[in-house]
Amino acid sequence: MSGPGSSRPSGSNPGSTGLLEGAGGGLTPRATAGRRSVAVTGATGFLGSNLIGSLEEDDRIGRIVAIDSGPVPTAGKKTHCYEIDLTQPRAEARVAEVLAAERVDAIAHLAFLAEPTHATAWAHELESVGTMHVTVAAQQTQVRKFVLWSQTWLYGAHPSNPNFLTEKHPLRAPKSEPFFADKIEAEEQARRLGQRSPGTVVTILRMAPILGPTVHNAFTRHLSRKIVPTMMGFDPLVQFLHEVDAIAALHLALLRDVQGTFNIVGDGVLPLSTVIKLAGRIALPVPHPLARTVTALGWVAQLVQAPPTFLKYLRFLCVADGQKAREALGFTPAFTSREALLDFVSAQRLRDVKLLAETAA
Amino acid sequence: MTTPRKKKPRKPRSPGATSVAPPSQPAPVEGQQPSAPMDLTDRPSDPDVVARIRELEARLDRMIGEHARERESTADLGAEAPRQPPQRELPSRPPEAPPGVLDTARELLSTDFYLRKWGRMGLRSRSEEVDEFGYDPVYEQKVLPFLDFLYEKYFRVEVHDVARVPGEGRCLLVANHSGTLPLDGAMLRRAVRREHPQRREVRWLAEDGIFHFPFLGSFTNRMGAVRACQENAERLLEQDALVAVFPEGVKGIGKLYRERYQLQRFGRGGFIKLGLRTHTPVVPVAIVGGEETNPMLSRVEYLTRALGIPYFPVTPTFPLLGPLGLLPAPTKWKIFFGEPIDLEGYGPESADDELLVGRLTELVRGEIQQMLDRGVAGRRSVWFG
Repeated sequence: MSGPGSSRPSGSNPGSTGLLEGAGGGLTPRATAGRRSVAVTGATGFLGSNLIGSLEEDDRIGRIVAIDSGPVPTAGKKTHCYEIDLTQPRAEARVAEVLAAERVDAIAHLAFLAEPTHATAWAHELESVGTMHVTVAAQQTQVRKFVLWSQTWLYGAHPSNPNFLTEKHPLRAPKSEPFFADKIEAEEQARRLGQRSPGTVVTILRMAPILGPTVHNAFTRHLSRKIVPTMMGFDPLVQFLHEVDAIAALHLALLRDVQGTFNIVGDGVLPLSTVIKLAGRIALPVPHPLARTVTALGWVAQLVQAPPTFLKYLRFLCVADGQKAREALGFTPAFTSREALLDFVSAQRLRDVKLLAETAA
Repeated sequence: MTTPRKKKPRKPRSPGATSVAPPSQPAPVEGQQPSAPMDLTDRPSDPDVVARIRELEARLDRMIGEHARERESTADLGAEAPRQPPQRELPSRPPEAPPGVLDTARELLSTDFYLRKWGRMGLRSRSEEVDEFGYDPVYEQKVLPFLDFLYEKYFRVEVHDVARVPGEGRCLLVANHSGTLPLDGAMLRRAVRREHPQRREVRWLAEDGIFHFPFLGSFTNRMGAVRACQENAERLLEQDALVAVFPEGVKGIGKLYRERYQLQRFGRGGFIKLGLRTHTPVVPVAIVGGEETNPMLSRVEYLTRALGIPYFPVTPTFPLLGPLGLLPAPTKWKIFFGEPIDLEGYGPESADDELLVGRLTELVRGEIQQMLDRGVAGRRSVWFG
């Protein structure tokens, strides 16, 4: 899990193996499942490459099929890399070919963007159409398991949200924003795959904003400025997921055959103002109508990195309840929201003083 | 991908201070004497002690290892993502006692120093972690003198039969809503906290409208209010909390002066359904005095949607005196608690029985209306009670 030589069962520590076996024993028994073959799309991204690293160390996984448009940095002996661009019209046939050839029985579909982009047409091809390619290929090859990465952001930030959104809540993120609309469509397609082919177990993991020492996304960039703009008079509660927990949840979902949608979140909530204070940043309160205008202009001029619809998340609640994942999936986060934030902050401090290079994730 | 590790702030820490040096020894200075554990293990005279120390060390290592693995048992699926022990230390804390003058100067000249100071100052008035609904005890403690002033001196709140509220377990307080500014939730919370034998904590449910507003929404949330919706209320009651609801909602705070102390409709009986589903007793509460604090003569309802508010209040002083006109009048408040109404007898499925829900809602509403009528009739003056 962590760096080299920490918690893999090795001969030196006889007391530890029992514990690990206990945790693994709840999963599908080794004898019946055999060594699995797992495919990961979006394998060069942060989640993809780290998930492959984690799968490489797992004895229950026999083969990993990495699908992306570039080389995978964490590829080991078990990983077979295929360069397939999901935005291409031929992608569907090629993915199906690969899945059949490698006899893949589980797919983790992670080819999504963690940050909004100006290239919305390309993003649509990748996220919405790309998911269609992958789901159709999965249906053709009768894949047993399909795991989709999603975000709690899709619930949308509204003053009428309950303090803890459950999985039953409708996805109310602004549909006018391609960043959200494409991901909502992708979820819809994954759900349809579950209905069309009853042999496929579809698991959708809606994750809270991921924080940690190495991850890069819209939120980490927001917090990496010295002066962080906030909406004057608004101080919503926010929650985070540690990057290690995010990888662990994906890994767990690949191994356990539990159908359904799950919120994957860290425990506890923090007011946004406290987040900024703990990060050692200065909050700059801006009246929200002004912020909206400025951001809208800046987005058109490509001067800011997020469209104005994201400002709602700085005003209203969007916090999800992780109880279902705890009970049905057996996922317990190792880090609370606050610990995830502090972990991010300690790495960010080193980056601030140029002691740590920016990782290209 | 490298594992970023936080660099320790430079602190002249002697190795003996953290290891197993005997306490009688003065803190050893580096280079003057070998550190204590080395000394012990090298001494050949007592192999018994050495063996015992070795054994203890091994046991400690095992315990640390096991603890770490227990924490990771679910996450332990072997990611290559870097992993650090969760850092407990507050990052905005500057290192203690910088050693030299030069270092101090450098510290003072760096912008980081001021950033951290700023962060510390900001956190002084709040807790680092709020509870899951956003209540911040440290923040409330800061506002408490003001609330107590309102409670004792301004409204001179008088509480009757507060002991009827159960000492423990889940309970719903159902009260009339009043005043253009909803101060009744905060006052009810204060009243139970101060007068109830068990000093129970009330979480009150505030209507959504509040959360549209800047400042007001986050302020009431940090003070312990929660947005009124079934999900939140159920979650609170499952934690055996004492929850106050104002079923009149926005219609209640929007009452005109001539409608005072006439209960508006109680929604669709959501609070009764809640009580039935979660087996929660209901305590009717009447708040007398609150409805005269901001006597509303008229409410303007056109053009208010653009401002995001349900209505624009017109009182004798507002908008005549500007924001000052919103100051509540110093009326005398009395809070009456009624007998708890037990809903144990009905099963959770009866929450879908519209007829029963309607009947029970009317029962509670009648109870509160009676208490209100009695309270209003029993006072001689709005100002002195």
